Amino acid sequence: MEARKLSGALGLRAKIALVALVLLVIPWVGYSYVNAMEQLLRRNQEQQLAATARAVATALQDRPQLMGLRAAAAGGGKPPAAATLSEQLQILLAGLARAGLRIWVIDSKLSLIGTAGDLGAPAPAADDTITFGPIERAVRAALRPVFERFLETPVSPREEFIPNDVVFGGREVERALDGATTLRRRPAPSGHGVILSVAHPVWVGDTVAGAVVVEENTDAIVSMRNRAFEQLVAVTLIAFSAAALVLLLFASRLSWRLRRLRNEAENAIDSQGRVRNLAAGEHARDEIGDLSRSFSTVLERLAQYNAYLENMAGRLAHELRTPIAVVRSSLDNIRLQQPPGETGVYVARAEEGVRRLETILTRMAEATRLEQVVRSGERERFEVQTVLGGCVEGYAAAYPGRRFKLAMTEERVSLRGAPDLFAQMLDKLAANAADFSTGEAPVEISLQRTSTEIVLRFSNTGPPLPAEMKNRLFESMVSVRKDRPAGDPHLGLGLYIVRLIAEFHGGRASASNRADRNGVLVELRFPATA
Amino acid sequence: MRRRIAIVEDDPAIRANYADALGKHGYEVSAYGDRVSALAAFHARTPDLVLLDIGLGDEVDGGFTLCRELRTLSGTLPIIFLTARDSDFDAVSGLRMGADDYVTKSMSLPHLLARVSALFRRADASGAPAPGESVLARGALTLDLNRFTVSWRGQGVDLTLTEFWLVHALAKFPGHVKNREQLMGEAHVVVDDSTITSHVKRIRRKFGAVDPRFDRIDTVYGMGYRWKPES
Repeated sequence: MEARKLSGALGLRAKIALVALVLLVIPWVGYSYVNAMEQLLRRNQEQQLAATARAVATALQDRPQLMGLRAAAAGGGKPPAAATLSEQLQILLAGLARAGLRIWVIDSKLSLIGTAGDLGAPAPAADDTITFGPIERAVRAALRPVFERFLETPVSPREEFIPNDVVFGGREVERALDGATTLRRRPAPSGHGVILSVAHPVWVGDTVAGAVVVEENTDAIVSMRNRAFEQLVAVTLIAFSAAALVLLLFASRLSWRLRRLRNEAENAIDSQGRVRNLAAGEHARDEIGDLSRSFSTVLERLAQYNAYLENMAGRLAHELRTPIAVVRSSLDNIRLQQPPGETGVYVARAEEGVRRLETILTRMAEATRLEQVVRSGERERFEVQTVLGGCVEGYAAAYPGRRFKLAMTEERVSLRGAPDLFAQMLDKLAANAADFSTGEAPVEISLQRTSTEIVLRFSNTGPPLPAEMKNRLFESMVSVRKDRPAGDPHLGLGLYIVRLIAEFHGGRASASNRADRNGVLVELRFPATA
Repeated sequence: MRRRIAIVEDDPAIRANYADALGKHGYEVSAYGDRVSALAAFHARTPDLVLLDIGLGDEVDGGFTLCRELRTLSGTLPIIFLTARDSDFDAVSGLRMGADDYVTKSMSLPHLLARVSALFRRADASGAPAPGESVLARGALTLDLNRFTVSWRGQGVDLTLTEFWLVHALAKFPGHVKNREQLMGEAHVVVDDSTITSHVKRIRRKFGAVDPRFDRIDTVYGMGYRWKPES
């Protein structure tokens, strides 16, 4: 039987894949974490810069003469000392500056009195020691183009000079000169990257003598963030793929097992009503195994019940035979004893009754006997035309009131089976057709051969089949006969016998109403063997 | 001397009915309800003919066992299985045990009596030479109507009474088709068509054992069987 498609519902696999989408929360959590980490690093950087600025400012507060440099020079005090002071300031600043960090000092008149460090220093090289292994690296390398497209790559802001607008228009400088420490992020002049600057006032006494500005680019943090993000994406991708694969395999296996069980359960009862045990998941210790076993139990019970029904006729016949033998032998004894007188009439009637009972028993036993013959299964090759021709010839004599019309293919048609049984089947079909046939039209019998099948049809005019019986006609003890002639009992075993014999020959039997609704067509299809 | 017939049958009504009928026909009848009492009686004195049921009380196959035990007592004692079981399997088993015939309980008493007397005749005649008129010869086939024996090409074919009557019915008029009802009548049986089919099958097999090329019994589909005349 073809596996039925699940209609309008998701398969088990699709459902598990959907459930696996829950895993997508992991990259989201990771993304938030990376962002939080970035915030932390930024704050840390700000604090560091502020601390550096404060340190420089404090150092300058301790040496107010360094700040007063220009004023002193203008005042024409000790010119040679100017160079020394400038050098001293430079040394002080150089000691605090580092790669990527620039420190500059302005006085209260916004003139630059000292600078050290360089923003353009190379960002720290990507540290590849923190890694999750070769797979993660490979995935990251593969995704590089995507990352480059979506992530902002750190570019060292190559700012050679301190731009004038920063010095003269920079609000942080203004505010520092007003006495407040300020922090500002400004875009690098190249347009890429961000420069973080902290301005700190330098107090000399109660007045602001100038300001220290410490600047640093944020490349290090950006690249660290990017790196963490890349790793996060790569690791999540790997974990997600692995988990999805495992889930998919699991779901596939599960649905394969269920499908197998379903198909087996569907086919457990074959066309002959025999029930097979389920093999799928028979030994499994999980719920599917349980299901399979309980299916098997149910099917077994069904099989027992089926067997009980099928053997019913035979067993009943067997059980009835003894009491009937009692009646018959008693009647025989009466006959032997008395000369037929008045009791003779009643004895004759009783004997007629017993004869009828025996006919019933014989018919009931016939199916059982046939089942045994079919099971023993001796087969030989025979020509269908010979058997069919002979039988139909015989029917003319057996049913004097009916006509039979036979149309056989010219081709030689042979079957493997038992010709005697085949003839018995034809007898049943003929009896059936003759009994139901009405009017003058003959019973039409045809034998055809297609490339794959041998088709035998019995067609007779007569009342159509009741729709609800169409599929049950070939079951044991099912009959559509309403008016039964007295003394000719019908048990609905005829077509059951037809089915048994047809199946013994590998064929199928079906009955339908004729297209003209004027009769019934019984059709037998056998696989054509070479 | 009156013939002594033993009936072993667990149903008292049938047992009494058969005993009465046989007694009325001049036989001395002893009836037993179970295997043990029957066997004890047979050891004391062997009857001339035994009618056996297969199922005896609780012993499902008690009749088969008894038949085997009887055969050890006497190789020639006629035994008829008279049973409610009508499967081919039981019939074959019964005949293989050495029974002379296997009939079902649906058999009428006159038919049964015919069988009994036929078996007695067969037992009587086994020693004496066959009188000429009671022999039916059809080519290689010879039927001895007194002893109920058959020979094919000079070799004996061991047939049961039913089978003998069937062969006789067919061979009496070679070439004539006998339908199943006619054959049943001739063989004093009332059975279903497929039983006749299996009888014929068994007859063919028995002849085939003597002569592998045996093909005289023709199936005429839709009608019956016929004995193919000598060509």
